[in-house]
Amino acid sequence: MSAQASITESQLAQLLLQREVEAFYTREAELLDDRRFSEWLDLLAGDVRYWMPIARNVAFDRPDHEYTRERTDANWFDEGKDDLAKRVQQIVGGDHWAEEPRSRTTHAITNVNIAEIRGDELTVHCRFIVSQLRQDSEVNFFMGKRVDVLRRGATLQIAHRSIFLDQSVLLAKGLTTFF
Amino acid sequence: MSIRERRDGVAGDPADGIVSREIFSSETLFAKELERVFAPSWAFVGHTSQLAADGDFVLSRVGQESVIVTRERGGAINVLLNSCRHRGMPVCRYDDGNASVFTCSYHGWSYDLGGGLTGVPKLNEGYRGGLDRSQWGLIRARTEVFYGSIWATFDPGAPSLEEYLGDMALYLRDLLQGPDGEDDGYEVIGGIVKWKMASNWKFGAENFSGDHSHYPTHLSVNRLNISLSGKAERHPFAAVKAPFTFLNVAHPGGHTVRVNLYEKLSPYESMWAAVPEVDDYYRKCHEARQKRLGDRARLFSRGGIVFPNMHYNTGGRTTIGVWIPVSAHETEVWRWLFVPRNAPQIVKDTLRHFYMRYAGPSGMTEQDDMENWTASQRGTSGVWSRRYPFNYQLSPADAHRAWPEPWLGADAMVVAGVSEHNQRAFYTRWNELMSA
Repeated sequence: MSAQASITESQLAQLLLQREVEAFYTREAELLDDRRFSEWLDLLAGDVRYWMPIARNVAFDRPDHEYTRERTDANWFDEGKDDLAKRVQQIVGGDHWAEEPRSRTTHAITNVNIAEIRGDELTVHCRFIVSQLRQDSEVNFFMGKRVDVLRRGATLQIAHRSIFLDQSVLLAKGLTTFF
Repeated sequence: MSIRERRDGVAGDPADGIVSREIFSSETLFAKELERVFAPSWAFVGHTSQLAADGDFVLSRVGQESVIVTRERGGAINVLLNSCRHRGMPVCRYDDGNASVFTCSYHGWSYDLGGGLTGVPKLNEGYRGGLDRSQWGLIRARTEVFYGSIWATFDPGAPSLEEYLGDMALYLRDLLQGPDGEDDGYEVIGGIVKWKMASNWKFGAENFSGDHSHYPTHLSVNRLNISLSGKAERHPFAAVKAPFTFLNVAHPGGHTVRVNLYEKLSPYESMWAAVPEVDDYYRKCHEARQKRLGDRARLFSRGGIVFPNMHYNTGGRTTIGVWIPVSAHETEVWRWLFVPRNAPQIVKDTLRHFYMRYAGPSGMTEQDDMENWTASQRGTSGVWSRRYPFNYQLSPADAHRAWPEPWLGADAMVVAGVSEHNQRAFYTRWNELMSA
């Protein structure tokens, strides 16, 4: 029996979808690291929610309390596309001193897992590693988990992004990059 | 003379606007600072709204030390050193929660919410009846609640909080009044914002004390109009056109505030036009506050510090923070975000969103402040740069006592306009404690 015959159409569709999502993330990371921020904004749906909660150290029986709540508590980010567009405008003006001279960033996305498909929306879990270096010696290293809702249309778009950083006390003075 | 001799103590000559760079970089001075500046002071540790139920606790800090802030049955609030009397382990390992007892995970000594030692393994057979549990409770801080804010000191010789604050009590009370002027009018929203930065704690402290001349810092955020006034700038109150005098108010204890004193009681001018429901709320509050406070409602506070390391913002963004001294070169920052307790949900949501976009590591304003504080820090330790002091001589106008209104505080020393008066007062107090 040939290997080809053993691949069903649904398996093939699954592989292609996995490939499409991974290629989307590769392109996204490239846009961020190339500082093509306005093109990055195009990957976000108009109604996107970009949420990065604050982690707390909690008892084993309160796992739901470990991260602050979206639209309720203090968070690192809990905002929409207009806010993100303002952040981009701030960075590109040459007068946002926390990003002038600009950071050199490297975004790596891994462990991409399409966890759920519902209608035209995919829920995707992944891990991120972001290194950010500025000037001679400012070094920030962010790692964590991400849960995205990606919407399928003519292209994929990010409809919702949850960013779970492993740090509780942030070990960086600023969050001037995107995750 | 290019290298000025220190002639007035450790800091240099702060009353004349000369401050040594070494006070930011010397680890020897840092160690002394923990004893002389932090140990005898009162520390802000939290707010009663964080402890809604009996048994609730939160971790906080007094200086560098971890403390547990607890609410006992009946509502009494305690601040306990989070360090087992047996071997020093933290007896509380969680940022917050509800408990009736804290049991050390090393040898099992356990303590109640007031810090009393309730359980010791082998108490009866192991100590020949000789362990007096009343002598081995958790170290308890002197604790005071001031209009909802919780304060603590471990120094038995420190004055009462009231005496420690002096006239600053007026401004702290004002901070904690809701926009309608009601006392204890705020609550903390969930999640304390915590981060570290490579800067001495005093750079943040002096900035909050009264730095009104760092205009280039915020050029980028100002052009983006993040204020919700619907107009340019980043502060909602920048939209108000009623005439006022900007005042730098310094108190003898090193506490300082920045306020707008309006010439007269004026009708509400829109500050939150981008969200009409919020604007409507603030309009009603403006009228209620004038009714409640009378002439004193002309005071519009913008921010300040309670010496040494508590800092706050008002003027539409009520936040309280502390600079936790880690080393001469590193500071941990904690920030509590407040919303008016009785406000409609849309007001609370709008303010929460505004803070996050404005302040802290994700804040479009404070990102650039921290760039300053960390970059200034690098300018304090060079073998040559550290020999040349910093300049705080901007607007060395004579300060007026209890001016222009006596109710600003009998001992308040006030300078109008952009000035480094408050920074001079901060370092003068620091110098007194360090040189004693």
